[in-house]
Amino acid sequence: MENTPRKEYDVIIIGGGATGAGTARDCALRGLKTILAERLDFTAGATGRNHGLLHSGARYAHTDPESASECIKENIILKRIARHCVEETSGLFVTLPEDDLNYQDALVNDCFKAGIHVDVLDPKEAVKIEPAVNPDIIGAVKVPDGSIDPFRLTTANVLDARMHGADIITYHEVIGFEKSGNSITGVRLRNHHNGEETVIHGKVTINAAGIWGHHIAKLAGVNINMYPAKGALLIFGHRVNNMVLNRCRKPGDADILVPADTISIIGTTSTRIPFDEIDHMEVTPEEVDLLLREGEKLSPALAYTRVLRAYAGVRPLVADDSDPTGRSISRGIVCLDHAKRDGLEGFITITGGKLITYRLMAEEATNLACKKLNINKPCETAEIPLPGSEPDSKDEERRAHIIELSTEQKAAEGRHGSWTGKIESRSDSDDALVCECEQVSVAEVNYAINELHVHNLINLRRRTRLGMGTCQGELCACRGAGLLDKHDNCSDRSLKDLASFMEERWHGMYPVCWGETLCEVQFTSWLYQGVMGLGDSHL
Amino acid sequence: MRFDNIIIGGGLSGLIAAVVSQRAGKKTAIISAGQSALHFWSGSFEFLGNIDGNMVIDHPLMEAERLPDSHPYKKIGIPHTAELLSKVAPLLQEAGIKVKGSLERNHYRLTPMGFLKPAWLTLDEYFMADHPSQIEGKKYAIVNIAGYIDFYPNFLRNGLDKHGASCTISAIDIPQLAPLRKSTTEMRATNMSRFLRNDAVDSLAKEINMASRGADEAIVPAVLGMFSDEPVRRLRNQIDRPVNFIATTPASVPGVRCQLSLRDYFIRLGGTFIPGDTVKKGVFDGQRLKRVYTVNFGDMPIEADNFVICTGSFFGHGLIANIDRIYEPIFGLDLNETGDRTKWYDKDFFSPQPYMGTGVTTDSEFRPSLNGHTIENLYATGALLAGFNALKEGSGAGITLATALHAASKICS
Repeated sequence: MENTPRKEYDVIIIGGGATGAGTARDCALRGLKTILAERLDFTAGATGRNHGLLHSGARYAHTDPESASECIKENIILKRIARHCVEETSGLFVTLPEDDLNYQDALVNDCFKAGIHVDVLDPKEAVKIEPAVNPDIIGAVKVPDGSIDPFRLTTANVLDARMHGADIITYHEVIGFEKSGNSITGVRLRNHHNGEETVIHGKVTINAAGIWGHHIAKLAGVNINMYPAKGALLIFGHRVNNMVLNRCRKPGDADILVPADTISIIGTTSTRIPFDEIDHMEVTPEEVDLLLREGEKLSPALAYTRVLRAYAGVRPLVADDSDPTGRSISRGIVCLDHAKRDGLEGFITITGGKLITYRLMAEEATNLACKKLNINKPCETAEIPLPGSEPDSKDEERRAHIIELSTEQKAAEGRHGSWTGKIESRSDSDDALVCECEQVSVAEVNYAINELHVHNLINLRRRTRLGMGTCQGELCACRGAGLLDKHDNCSDRSLKDLASFMEERWHGMYPVCWGETLCEVQFTSWLYQGVMGLGDSHL
Repeated sequence: MRFDNIIIGGGLSGLIAAVVSQRAGKKTAIISAGQSALHFWSGSFEFLGNIDGNMVIDHPLMEAERLPDSHPYKKIGIPHTAELLSKVAPLLQEAGIKVKGSLERNHYRLTPMGFLKPAWLTLDEYFMADHPSQIEGKKYAIVNIAGYIDFYPNFLRNGLDKHGASCTISAIDIPQLAPLRKSTTEMRATNMSRFLRNDAVDSLAKEINMASRGADEAIVPAVLGMFSDEPVRRLRNQIDRPVNFIATTPASVPGVRCQLSLRDYFIRLGGTFIPGDTVKKGVFDGQRLKRVYTVNFGDMPIEADNFVICTGSFFGHGLIANIDRIYEPIFGLDLNETGDRTKWYDKDFFSPQPYMGTGVTTDSEFRPSLNGHTIENLYATGALLAGFNALKEGSGAGITLATALHAASKICS
């Protein structure tokens, strides 16, 4: 459902992650003629590869109190405007016998100063309320952490932007800029579906492309010193803990275990990598061993929990402009007005930050864009709920009724919130399940294909969770491919897409290829290559 | 409890070895955890489908000579393998399973995604072609059951059209399937097969007849006949043109039927089938296995003169992989692989995976060893064996059956 781009926009936004989508929403809500161009699919970058942690800010309270205050403010805002994307799990900062208990006192103090409400608990009490935590802990502090689904969050921002008139196009990559004098006047795009190139014009262009923004800036003729920092994480086969578990010590590797829906995620690491690796990252055996070793200290049960898959994301670390050596890393949000900085008009870069400060980043970028456009409209994104999170006047009635809903209806509601009603189910066939692990129906798949910019199985996976469950696409991927093909009508392409999807699933499984994961993968191979005949190049 | 021969594992390998053993007058028992790869069967058995990256159609036996000497076919010897495998079709026939095909030349089966793949024996009711040219000019009616999403008419048409056929696609419904539609997870092959019996088959036949008018052949999903092939015969008798079936995603209804047929044949012969049980350990006397203990029988031993272990690969839990080692869980048999997990896999999903070749090492008689010492009266067969990638070679069933028949001849002499 993609509009043909109009010719002249107020704002062009490059990048379809949380920041870009959030900026498109803010601009559209303020009445700007907006277009968002994403080179692949929404959340294909760091947004789709982070920890899903709704920080309380406690982790930064000591080293970066400003970031910590920002975090807790946005944490509270997102709990209000993105209800259907957030799970208010609370969190614990736990001190293990080998850690220094004094750190806990400092943490509590710093949180108080940053406006983060915390409670010191008796460790025995903490073990009672969170049975999965290491029973040997000697200290526990309860914090307002939560978990947040970045896919739902981004989709909701995109939907709101579109509802308020923004044009949204995926699989369109910026390959160059149009300039007039010392001003950016537009971008040249390549459509990855058919190779066609187009030019769109806009008064202000916002570079919200994360680590790929380094390349975008270069195309525009400016330099931003960015450093890709890779983080590896592991997903466990089921939800082991109910509250976020943090290690109460100086921030280090693998010291957070986040519960999300039906699984738990341990993370993360931080390794500088060269730019030529940012599109082909692998999780190494050393990273897997480290994540498991440290994770088991937080929750011993992880030692006998199936590891579902491994993945890595890349953070955009930005060098502080004020340091001429270029080695000091900016903390927090970086919003660059290239007119002031580089003499280049009509170009803004918004980067740095974290997933949960995306709205604030969008606000800063939109404020700057409005200033350049001489538009005086206030930001309302902190007040207006996202589509799916509107308060329900019938909340009480609905909650009572929820017991009568099937698991698949509940699962769909978990994904789409109050917008679940838009999923049209016209017959029993529409109710049939495509993905049994995640309870995704035929109707939901069709809704995603028709309304949520779904062109292939990977897009479908991000919008509906198809293939993200314990079978990792083994039973549902071919069903999904069959349904997509009904829309697409190009079987060769659909079958190639199915093969790509299985390769992508494998990419996250081979780093953890033992135990039940190896069993499932062997079965999947026999099914897809043996029975189905996929991947035989000569057939 | 005492038997002449005990078969550990109730998949295709174990069932065939057990049937031959019981037929030869040996008191035989199968101990089976319950699963079988037949439940996910494509409908065809492969002997050799691919060598050195090339598809094998003509002279599979000749091509098999090019396999390494360590390959099960070469260990048995190709002529002897051919002799053993020639017994398969008649044996299956006795169990009520009709297959078509020959070792002299592979034919083609049509996969659910519309690809043609080589096959040695194919179940009688499935689509098969001796040569792609047989497809040229043919008119096929691809008929699905409305709302069934494990069958892909678009992909089948795409594949058949490439070989010069012309296809129509339709979906039919019959009232007898209405109860299935009420639940979101019930329109699956095994459930449908329970409803598609008796008068429901007649209704189905009527609909398929109408939907396939004007076509040379009807192509339908393999969702008929989980307990017997009577519904298949009943359907085919009422349709004016040939009806051929295509495999569906799990479970395979004809595959379950096949496994049950073999199991029932074994029991009819007087065999003892011990289901839902797993062997925990064995007790040895020198180099001979004397008795085994199972989960359900606790401390009651089960003794035999000879044992055959056909517990499958990782998926059947015949082999287990921890983060730092692979092992055979019942006896701890010697394997061709243990330690470095980074060597178990290839990063490309469709490339040959090293773990597929991991398994139990055996002597020239297919007897495994414990700490380097061969166990005199234990034989290993099927996917549990080391040293070949049955998926890439297209040799899964051939190896399973040849080694099972070979072991059976040893334990019956």
